[in-house]
Amino acid sequence: MASKRIGIDTGGTFTDLVCFDADTGSVSSLKVASTPKAPTEAFIASITESGAPPAEIDFLVHGTTVATNALIQRAGARVAFVCTAGHEDIPYIQRVNRQYLYDLSWDKPRPLLRSRRHCLGVRERMDARGEVLVPLEAEAIDELCDRIAEIEPEAIAVCLLFSYLNTAHEERLAAELRRRFDGVPLSVSHEVAPIWREYERSSTAIADAYVKPLMQRYVGSLETGLAEAGIGIDWAMMKSNGGLMDASAAADHPVHLVMSGPAGGAVASEHVADLMGLDNLVTLDVGGTSADVSLILGGRAGYTTSYEIEWGIPAAVPLIDIGTVGAGGGSIAWVNAGGFLQVGPRSAGADPGPVCYGAGGAELTLTDANLVLGRLDPGSFLGGRMQLDEAAARAAAEAMAGPLGMAPAELAHSIVEIANENMANAIRMVSIERGHDPRHFALLAFGGAGPLHAAAIARKLGIPRVVIPPYPGSFAALGLLLGDLRVDKLWTQGYRSDRVAASEVIARFDAIAAAATAELRAQGFDGEPELSYAVNMRYLGQNYETEVEVPPLGSATGAASAQEQLERAYAAFHAEHESMYDYVIRDAVIEMISFRVTAVGAIPHPALARVSSADPDPGRCREVFFGGYGRVETRLIRRPAMPIDEVIEGPAIITEDGSTTVVEPTMTVRRTDRDVLVVETG
Amino acid sequence: MSAEPVGAAADLRVDQVTLTVIDNYLATTCREMGLAMMRTAYSPMFNESLDFSCVLFDKHGRMIAQAEFCPSQIGTIKFTVEWMIDELGADVYQPGDVIVMNDPYRGSGHIPEHTLLKAVFHEGEIVAFVANCAHLAEPGAKAPGGLAGDATDIFQEGLRLPPLWLQRQGVNQEDIWKIIFANHRTPKVTYGDLMAMIGSLTVAERRLTSLIDTYGLDVFHTATEDLIRIAERRMAEEISKIPDGEYSFSDVIEDDGVVEGDYTIRCDVVVDGDAVTCDFTGSSAQAAGPMNATYAVTASAVYNAFLHITDPTIPRNQGCYRPINIVAPPGTIVNCEFPAALVGGNTEVSPRITDIIFGALADALPDRIPASLGGTSCCFLFGGAHPDTGELYSHFHFEGIGWGGRPDKDGNSQIIVINGNCRNTPVEVFESRYPIRVESYRLLEDSGGAGRNRGGLGMERILTIDADEITVSALFNRMTVDPFGLHGGQPGRNSGIYMRPAGAREWQTFSEAFGTMSPSKFSNVVLRRGDQVKLVAPGGGGLGDPLEREPERVLADVAEGLVTPAAALDSYGLEVARANGSWSVVGAPGRTER
Repeated sequence: MASKRIGIDTGGTFTDLVCFDADTGSVSSLKVASTPKAPTEAFIASITESGAPPAEIDFLVHGTTVATNALIQRAGARVAFVCTAGHEDIPYIQRVNRQYLYDLSWDKPRPLLRSRRHCLGVRERMDARGEVLVPLEAEAIDELCDRIAEIEPEAIAVCLLFSYLNTAHEERLAAELRRRFDGVPLSVSHEVAPIWREYERSSTAIADAYVKPLMQRYVGSLETGLAEAGIGIDWAMMKSNGGLMDASAAADHPVHLVMSGPAGGAVASEHVADLMGLDNLVTLDVGGTSADVSLILGGRAGYTTSYEIEWGIPAAVPLIDIGTVGAGGGSIAWVNAGGFLQVGPRSAGADPGPVCYGAGGAELTLTDANLVLGRLDPGSFLGGRMQLDEAAARAAAEAMAGPLGMAPAELAHSIVEIANENMANAIRMVSIERGHDPRHFALLAFGGAGPLHAAAIARKLGIPRVVIPPYPGSFAALGLLLGDLRVDKLWTQGYRSDRVAASEVIARFDAIAAAATAELRAQGFDGEPELSYAVNMRYLGQNYETEVEVPPLGSATGAASAQEQLERAYAAFHAEHESMYDYVIRDAVIEMISFRVTAVGAIPHPALARVSSADPDPGRCREVFFGGYGRVETRLIRRPAMPIDEVIEGPAIITEDGSTTVVEPTMTVRRTDRDVLVVETG
Repeated sequence: MSAEPVGAAADLRVDQVTLTVIDNYLATTCREMGLAMMRTAYSPMFNESLDFSCVLFDKHGRMIAQAEFCPSQIGTIKFTVEWMIDELGADVYQPGDVIVMNDPYRGSGHIPEHTLLKAVFHEGEIVAFVANCAHLAEPGAKAPGGLAGDATDIFQEGLRLPPLWLQRQGVNQEDIWKIIFANHRTPKVTYGDLMAMIGSLTVAERRLTSLIDTYGLDVFHTATEDLIRIAERRMAEEISKIPDGEYSFSDVIEDDGVVEGDYTIRCDVVVDGDAVTCDFTGSSAQAAGPMNATYAVTASAVYNAFLHITDPTIPRNQGCYRPINIVAPPGTIVNCEFPAALVGGNTEVSPRITDIIFGALADALPDRIPASLGGTSCCFLFGGAHPDTGELYSHFHFEGIGWGGRPDKDGNSQIIVINGNCRNTPVEVFESRYPIRVESYRLLEDSGGAGRNRGGLGMERILTIDADEITVSALFNRMTVDPFGLHGGQPGRNSGIYMRPAGAREWQTFSEAFGTMSPSKFSNVVLRRGDQVKLVAPGGGGLGDPLEREPERVLADVAEGLVTPAAALDSYGLEVARANGSWSVVGAPGRTER
């Protein structure tokens, strides 16, 4: 009986897998080295290593940073951008404002295009009513295609003026381009982001096209790998908004995957916030390559639709608000031109990895420094499956420390301090810089290296409490299994409250709700979907709409007439406007801009089981270096052996598969019956 | 105003972390005020262009925080709020009162810019003021959109409001609103925009109250005083790094829309230790037309220049202005007297003053100072009755420009002028609101001044009138006076505004077509369906000898369509040709003078 649900989170250094057995309720996790050059290998290897027989796998969710990395490193495709003739400079003119005041060194951001010459105008034009002013003629398409062919693009993005009102020209053009450039991925603006404002819509379509060839190849190779492994199930990817999407659909809409990897961590963090009754958390996810930070406020992760790949280059899709800094276990220590020690952002990644992996890495990394300080137990790394070479790390530290006139331990401590400061800065960016005082938050740390650094970072920031969840090394992968299937159906059409035929809107809502439900069914969901409804509204004359959750709409929702249903929606808008801005304009005409139905198919989630006191493990002791203390005799405790609700005084090192928690001297740690570690930093 | 003197050695009384948290919290509050305004306002001036600023003041009216808004407004609002509190007194406010003011002779930048002020209370006492300043698209002037290029006195520039209560204890004062509605062409938009401004003040009030609840009133007051001290000290340190000396520069405003002839603006920048004085003695007498700056506008432009050439991390509050002194003789173009027209001072004279300060310091700070920016807001105003609804509309349209070449790199292309930080209005929003079509909108090749480091490019936009009748006005500069180059760089290309009657082939200036005194500044010209308007934004000046520009950078510019092959030869001395899809230098290694 297929009962196993698997979440796989691929990071730059490690690939994490969490397996939840829906029959038994058991959860297991593991970590394998990522294989960035052949990403499929680690993905399949993790499944093989989990021991789950292919036939027993019922469902699989994947989170990945492939799209994000391509965007940030500008490693995407050569895109031809097609737009209405006369407006070819949209990606280069942008919005003409500046990121910073008073900074003459600031440079306007470059679009994700290789050249201004890759912006091609086509003769056609819609007007602001969505009516055709200049028809799109066959000759214009022919001429355009000749110019596209010269560019030899790897992908094409199309954004015609007013396509959010009338899709006809974009649809016709898309059909022709698909026919003539068979196999060249195409991103069409009204499909990618049916929003008004030509720059924002163009930029989003370009970003989608930019990463599409890469994502299609990636998903295709995973499909092949799964098939070869005898796993023939439908599988899903986590979108940037924390919802799940069928994998092949996701590859065709890659702009929704920019936060796919970190979104799992945010979803899991919400879960822990809820479990522990903690409203305000700073989350810190430290992997091998980077550290992701986010805020949980009032128990919820922050969402934004104003995502920017960098300032001024928008990708207008909904996502969880997460900040990233290049600091992780693989971050390489180096000395800059001024003679100052630096850590990262260059990472040794998984291959060759840190010196102590013994895989050919010669440059000292943060992981090596932690090993030299005694904070990592060489025998229990990755659950003992990888023996760390402590002597090699020490030799590398000695080699680097000599010319700097430092002792190896001193150097290792400095490396850890610098990395901690970099991560603390990332937290300052999302908290202090936005006016939130981290001293009023708890720090939720996960990722293989998060718990290793959390106590010191919390001390730096004055954060009183650190929380280490269960499975910290695979927490983001766990989050992949805590997401639900989610289909958002958007319909853009403008109505005014003084002219609308209410029954038309209600009938349309029926249709989109049915379509959303059908799409969930197509993904294999056979339960009762949870439907929610939202309308984007504004006062006639305003330019920005507010998305308002409205009471269920549609003919099946009860006795209320169509007009009464809309009145309830208007009331919800007035209330939302008042709560946000403290005023309402009761007699104003309300414009409805777009309508959304979200169908959520709840799937079984792993529950964090209660744990009971295990046999107390006397543990071992080991010398660990702490700043200000030197080498201190420190208890090494296996997490599963920790008694419940007993306060243990630091210093202590708590080991488990996939992560290590450091408790500094003067701090205390306690394990709750939900297997959460709570460190009081004092 | 109880601006206490602060010694350089004054100790900070609040710990660093708390100071940083509070400083950032205040700036974030300003940003949130701006977001609230953007999301709720009615006019594209607000919600697309973001032509507004949100600023916080302490209980004495000293600026304690700002964010990435329009520098000219941030500079003037300091004076506006001081003026309002001085005139009204410190103790006349009730919770929920909102006061409006837009009088340029009381510190406002010009009539379209309306400032709203609200006192924040804590346990019955005033603890701070919150304010915002925004450019209303319709101030009830002689020309729709407010910026009449040929106004001859302030009374033609719109409805002037001294400090008046718009709300008392949260209740709209209907008498005042009725006067405003009766004088603006688009009262519904005015109402929506002013309500958005009031909503934004409420957001700020809530955020400040929450901050004070968290840290206590004492910490709030002490921290803001510390922050002002830090800013003053750091600005003084920055100024002391500029070599002592007297540096002079001048440039001209080409005409004032009313009489022909140049107006000179001259500035002597005297750096003496950790203080600087900018003396405008020797500048022309005030203009007959609207090209005048008030003292507040001039001071704001000077502050803007110094903030650009000093450490960008100095906290932005009252303190950073203190080491900067300004001398602007009354009755001149940089300190005009009542009742002079002045609406162009804030959009046109302001960036020119900033460029003149840069020009003066070009040799003293050769590694920081860029060549001239395009230096005009390219103000294009229009209004009429919308053919779809019959309702009146009016709009203030402006353009980005090229910025000057910099000591280490090229200037940015198409960025808003230095006194603003507005966005353009998207074509899709523009055409949804107004009966004008945007036929094309593109960067203009060769408009960036040639130089070792090239000036940024200007742009060209072609509009077609899509209504029976539209009334247009303009206020442009740099149409005849070039954006200057520096250190051997060439000037940027001029601005322009032209029209072409429906069906005609040739472009004409408005002087040629309609007999306006000035081709760049005029008001209330009527255009008809099918007529076209071409707006040209200037490029930035070049920096350094163009012949020193590396050939590969010239080739890259040609490949990208930023520089034409002809200009590569004329300005850069390189003959280039395209073969097999790429550009290369042909013939001898360049011309002889290279």
